[in-house]
Amino acid sequence: MKISLNWLKDYVSCGNSAEKIGHKLTMAGLEVEKISSYLNDKILELEITPNRADCLSMTGIARELSAILDKNFDSPKIRKFNFPVKRSDIKIQDKTGCGCYIGTVIEDIKIDEAPLWIRKRLESLGLKSINNVVDVTNFCLMELGQPLHAFDYDKVAGGKIVVRKAKDGEKIVTLDNIERVLDSSILVIADDQKPLAIAGIMGGVDSQVTAQTKNVLLESAYFDPVLIRRTSRKLGITTDSSYRFERRVDYERISIGAHRALALILTCAGGVITKYRKVSTGSYKKKKIKVMVSKNDINSYLGAEISFAQIKKILKRLDFGISVENKETLKVSPPSFRPDIVSKVDIIEEVSRVIGYDKLPLSLPKIQRVNIEPNKQRQRRKETEKALLAQGFSEIITFSMTDQNKLEMSEINATSGIKIKNPLSLDQEVMRSSLLPSTLSVVQTNLNRGEKKLKFYEFGKIYTENKEQDVLSLFLCGETLFDWRSKDRKIAEFYDLKGSVENLYSSLGITNLVFQAKEEPFFEKGQSCFIYQNKTKIGSLGLLKENVLAKWNIKERQCYFAQMDLEVIYRIEKNIKKFQPIIGYPSIVRDVSLAVKQDVSFQDIKNIIYENCGSLLSDVRFTEEYLGDKIEFGYRGLVFSLIYQSEERTLKEEEINDVHEKIVQELIQKLAVIRR
Amino acid sequence: MDWNLEETEKKALIEIKNAVDEKELEVFRIKYLGRKGVVQEIFSYLGKVPKEDKPLFGQKANSLRNNITKAIETKKQSFIEKTKDFLNLDVTLPGVAVSLGHKHLITQTIDEICSLFETLGFVIQEGPEIETEAHNFEGLNIPEDHPSRDGFDTFYLEAEDPYEKNKNLLLRSHTSPGQIRIMKEHKPPLAVVIPGRVYRPDAVDASHSFMFHQIEGLLVDKDIKFSDLKGLLTDFCQKFFGKNINMRFRPHYFPFTEPSAEVDISWKDGKKEWLEIMGCGMVHPKVFEFVGYKKGAYTGLAFGLGVERIAMLKHGVSDIRTFYENDNRFLKQF
Repeated sequence: MKISLNWLKDYVSCGNSAEKIGHKLTMAGLEVEKISSYLNDKILELEITPNRADCLSMTGIARELSAILDKNFDSPKIRKFNFPVKRSDIKIQDKTGCGCYIGTVIEDIKIDEAPLWIRKRLESLGLKSINNVVDVTNFCLMELGQPLHAFDYDKVAGGKIVVRKAKDGEKIVTLDNIERVLDSSILVIADDQKPLAIAGIMGGVDSQVTAQTKNVLLESAYFDPVLIRRTSRKLGITTDSSYRFERRVDYERISIGAHRALALILTCAGGVITKYRKVSTGSYKKKKIKVMVSKNDINSYLGAEISFAQIKKILKRLDFGISVENKETLKVSPPSFRPDIVSKVDIIEEVSRVIGYDKLPLSLPKIQRVNIEPNKQRQRRKETEKALLAQGFSEIITFSMTDQNKLEMSEINATSGIKIKNPLSLDQEVMRSSLLPSTLSVVQTNLNRGEKKLKFYEFGKIYTENKEQDVLSLFLCGETLFDWRSKDRKIAEFYDLKGSVENLYSSLGITNLVFQAKEEPFFEKGQSCFIYQNKTKIGSLGLLKENVLAKWNIKERQCYFAQMDLEVIYRIEKNIKKFQPIIGYPSIVRDVSLAVKQDVSFQDIKNIIYENCGSLLSDVRFTEEYLGDKIEFGYRGLVFSLIYQSEERTLKEEEINDVHEKIVQELIQKLAVIRR
Repeated sequence: MDWNLEETEKKALIEIKNAVDEKELEVFRIKYLGRKGVVQEIFSYLGKVPKEDKPLFGQKANSLRNNITKAIETKKQSFIEKTKDFLNLDVTLPGVAVSLGHKHLITQTIDEICSLFETLGFVIQEGPEIETEAHNFEGLNIPEDHPSRDGFDTFYLEAEDPYEKNKNLLLRSHTSPGQIRIMKEHKPPLAVVIPGRVYRPDAVDASHSFMFHQIEGLLVDKDIKFSDLKGLLTDFCQKFFGKNINMRFRPHYFPFTEPSAEVDISWKDGKKEWLEIMGCGMVHPKVFEFVGYKKGAYTGLAFGLGVERIAMLKHGVSDIRTFYENDNRFLKQF
């Protein structure tokens, strides 16, 4: 909201320094965002928080300043009228929507320019001057915060004002020259036949005051804040009036506003008041609130030592009614324009902000031992993070929302994920059901910018069936370890990512995993696997499909991705590790070189080894896979070592010959492998 | 032949010293220490020395042999050192290692802030992103259809709240619902920080994003005061931003705290510009009422800060979108 320094000086002697006033207001909770010059005036732009509707006027700010500066506040003189006996014809049909309506008819006015001093005031706040009557209503709005509206009384059919809900489909052309289609949730000011104005929001073109207007009806009213807010949102119109009504106008100001405007209209435009009526439905009246607060209440809450005298002075300056109940205890009655004050803490805030928070003391809280376990999931993620960083993965953070198109591009079911009702743009329409699309978008950006060696991880959530689930994603492409001593440049492949995944799990103490060849829709067949723990799938990894990458316009083909549930990691219980004695006896290593059929996996071989090895085998160490042409077609070569060791003695070669031979024979029989 | 041992030694040492390579040195070695060499000759001569001179001559001869032997060894070593120089490494060539990964600046900032509070006795907690209106708004004294909701534009899900008819689930627009969850489950004393992602339908520009991170702090006990709030956050800011800052507490309005404040900082040696870094206040009694605490039994302080904003201020990142672009060259800087 804008305020003018010159205008402000009408009500409080606040000095000439806009900067100083700006600082004082800011430090009392009325943040001044900008100070500018207008002719010989200074204009301050304030951010008024939604609890302070009373500050949406010049006098409201002046009152605040009077408390902050401890100066007198001179409120404008309001002329009292003896109204004629003749009553305006006003009917409030919607008693909850309209709490009070004052309609005054002034006849024989002369529409002209408003006097210079009013025009100057309005212009300083950026308001356009229209004519004397409209300018007066705007002036009063800015001065007192009470919205007013003037109708051309001759355009009011039957001379009758009806405050009612609109009929569905009823139309009105508002002052901004837009035709609005109304419905039964919207409150209107109507005459016998048609809506004249959208209540509290904007008047209609048909009944506006023009140069031809002779007689006017001045409206000062109270409309329900919730109703105005809903209508304003529904129609997408916010006006100076609606902004104030939805923040609740002061019900005692309805009359004052009318009186102030009438006096100014009579002065500026002449005329005679011929009809008057105030209709109250009572729905707006709030119970008078009394709050008991002692000096000790205030000081113990703030940790301060504010004197009783100062407390009283501040509250008085803010127009609070106070009476001393007993020694250093006050009964406080907040004024009608402060509906936000309902309890002790509200009073404490008033006192503290007027004094200024910076003047209040500091202390360090005594923090007791808290009986809440630190979040275990976070701790587990931190351990996971360590293992990933050590392996050279960098963390990315991507948006949790995506769009169906990106899901489809990634071959992920577009209807998975959770739909958002009110996205601002299409790329926010759904909460992601996989981290893949957002990862690919990061990969695309990086590759386009010439970053080709990418190793990423993200802790994120995926959203399905109205649940959120924590997952971890890994991405890998480009050269792995750069070593200038070797000529070969190694490009990341499946086993690089699998190695990282295995490292990760083993660093966390998870060992009972099974990797099984299987593919997600976005993985190449034969280049990917699922990860199982106790037969439950806990993740998958593999080479991204060529056509997925093509859809993302990613030219790099060797892109590997993994996504793993964090639930498994969250479930890890930290048991105390027991020391395993280190075996002092030497081990015997026997190499095995086999030609195996394509469909025989190393896991199959290991299974047979473990079934037949007895107690002397301590490890199976894989050494080489041979895929060249020096082997029969349909076969590949596998080389591995079996390591035998005893905890009790040095093994003799002869001892293991039998076991070893048995293992090899079993492999030959069961898996039809050929010894090389 | 009479021997001038001093002269002989002097000459030998000079010859050895001047030897140009190992071959020449070998010639001198044979000349002096060989089977028919000078030293041998001297020792043969010892028999002819008069009895009374024998001890002294013997001593001198021994010393001569030792010195020549030592000189040859030293010289030989220096030739070996020289040939070894060829094998020296260029230690300025780069080493070879797996490069370490980098934690995202946002995570680093969250970790740093959380651990500062952890050392004071706060416990880190987390809450869900999909929330109810009750937790995101009503419990925090933000009624429906109230202008105080203006500050909290919110994404709603199409799904309905299973606990409340005709209300949709939503994405939390701040981490404050975490306060409600903690207080519903635990009785004071409470000291928790709750980091997490939050969502608001804001148009994206250099300083706005529809997803960002917040950290919520909550301290509740029998006698928490406003001065504690000031002290705690002043201490935090000085640890986090360093001593080179000015700070101020500016009254503000949050429905769930009273009194409420915003905290601004400015750099002592920078522009005289105040930068807002967080919101805070004393927990509103309505919030305690909502979670079922006995009226008047507790007081508390709460604060909430935007992680992106703080990271931008501290590290000079000028566009919030940088965080979500995840350019490798950005990630590697931190």
